[in-house]
Amino acid sequence: MRFTVNGMEHDVKSPPLASLLHELREELHVTSPKAGCEQGGCGACTVFVDGEPRRACLLPLAAVDGATITTVEGLGTPDELSPVQAAFEQHYAAQCGFCTAGFLIAATALVQRQPDASRDDVLEALSGHVCRCTGYVKIVSAVEAALRGDAQPEEVEPSFEPEEAEVLIPGSPA
Amino acid sequence: MKAVGARLPRYDGVAHVTGRTTYVDDVRVPGTLSVKALRSPHHHAGITRLDTQKAEAIPGVYAIVTHADVPKNVYGHLEALGIPADEPLLAEDDVRYKGQPIAAVAAVDDDTAREAVEAIEIEYEERPSFFDVRKALDDDWPTIHQWGAVYPHFGPYNHRRVRKGDVERAFDQADTIVEGVYRPQAIEHCPIEPQTALVVPEANGRLTIHSCTQAMYFSMGVVAAHLEWPLNKLKFVGGTVGGGFGGKVDTATETICALLAIKSKRPVKWRWTREEEFLASSTRAPWHIEIADAVTSDGWILGRRTLTLHDSGAYARFSPYGLTKHAFHHTGAYTIPNVHFDGFVIFTNRVPTTAMRGFGVTSVSFAVETHMNRIAEVLGIDPLQIRLKNANRIGDTTANRVVLKDPSTVPVVLAAADRVGYDLPPEYRSMTSERRTGDLLPEHLAGQLGSEDGGDG
Repeated sequence: MRFTVNGMEHDVKSPPLASLLHELREELHVTSPKAGCEQGGCGACTVFVDGEPRRACLLPLAAVDGATITTVEGLGTPDELSPVQAAFEQHYAAQCGFCTAGFLIAATALVQRQPDASRDDVLEALSGHVCRCTGYVKIVSAVEAALRGDAQPEEVEPSFEPEEAEVLIPGSPA
Repeated sequence: MKAVGARLPRYDGVAHVTGRTTYVDDVRVPGTLSVKALRSPHHHAGITRLDTQKAEAIPGVYAIVTHADVPKNVYGHLEALGIPADEPLLAEDDVRYKGQPIAAVAAVDDDTAREAVEAIEIEYEERPSFFDVRKALDDDWPTIHQWGAVYPHFGPYNHRRVRKGDVERAFDQADTIVEGVYRPQAIEHCPIEPQTALVVPEANGRLTIHSCTQAMYFSMGVVAAHLEWPLNKLKFVGGTVGGGFGGKVDTATETICALLAIKSKRPVKWRWTREEEFLASSTRAPWHIEIADAVTSDGWILGRRTLTLHDSGAYARFSPYGLTKHAFHHTGAYTIPNVHFDGFVIFTNRVPTTAMRGFGVTSVSFAVETHMNRIAEVLGIDPLQIRLKNANRIGDTTANRVVLKDPSTVPVVLAAADRVGYDLPPEYRSMTSERRTGDLLPEHLAGQLGSEDGGDG
């Protein structure tokens, strides 16, 4: 068995029923897909298999023989983030970051195939992914920004110009 | 202060979105062994036999640890705060919750470690288990904990007490008594990153401990205490946490991995399965809170009686501290001059409960705010008006005898009302936190006012 991961060909020596997640993380040391639940529930292991977002923890290696696999490592680099990565970075959509790789794959799939997706489409596309930090609001905002095409990596620069902060509580230090 | 209000990139933002953040499970050390634990299948049982010989003989098994391998097995997470030790790292004579660890195996891979766990010979004597804290003081409550049904170390008492004013008189003077029972339930933190540790024995005799802990020095202290090692033989590497929410204040995996690394002389890694997370990781505590308030028909709260039962699970862990915070906040953001609070930490056969985002406080805030609505409903008074009327003001003395200098109840309630377009009469809309006078200083609140300089009145 062999498959391609982020453009590099790889000969598989693990048993055919070992999971794709095991092969990526333990044999290839491609660690952006995470072992969050290893039962298909949390979405943290999601990768592209021949362009489709799939749960790497549920895929036996025998099912991906000859496939082309892309993980977050293959989407963009720190110097050249993909539009979806840039949107996540700019909109603070990653808090602890552990679920982020799975969300990025799901969001990238949506942006590629349905550039006119509505907010409901975004919610549907992300519905198989669990995030315990953000409450999802910032993730959804990031995906909507990526769909609008208004998240540019070069805009993420330190700024020391304070924005006008609205005083919500009279008399508070803010 | 120039960063306040500014839009700044996160220092770890680019690493997160490129998959380059290194969590514990992403650290690669050649020759790392896998860890699996033998956990109790029973809620409550005596251990009558434990034999690891057959398991140790399995090829690929490098080390097995039980209570006998732990230099100091029983340790308390908050001994520094005066909460004595009560919980074994690995169970010895009995198990008190389902999933409690009894032994751990380090082997060449997961499958071998699992096989060895199954080969450990153990016999149990099942005992009755109890979960309903309301029955804890009944005669037929079984002995779960060596200290009895309740945590006994609140100074001279077996419960946390708050006493202020004359509660009997307040209840005699009340027009109505409003009672409520509130039972916020357990919540699993469920971080997407399960509990994980990687411990590497170094050539100089130290251990390098890759930890997902939320509390590096705290966890370092816990490991050092169990091992009876000086701190300078431990190097903790961490700070990158894949979600914690309080659950990773507990030192769940580091100590057992350290023991296995010492015994096997090899690097060992333990990543809990999701099933283990739900079965054996600590949770937010369930609570049983009873409140009775002495109120007047025009909406003043003259006095409050509170009974709280805090389900600690099988061991004390952080619960006595959580209950103390709970007691401190039991009048909420309101000034009640006469209070009588009793809070008990109850031992049950639940998994031990622990820190989680404001633990102790969120439970009592839920109860108090729900109770405020209930009082408003019983009296037929607007729920925000009753809050503003009883709100903490400058000079008020809390149940714990703190004289307030900058309470925020009034502006917060008014801001909240404003944001949702809530209609309030002008005399409420114009309220401030200023010291009580006139209609806001009824007779029952006069005696509790502190002096201008913050001293007790």
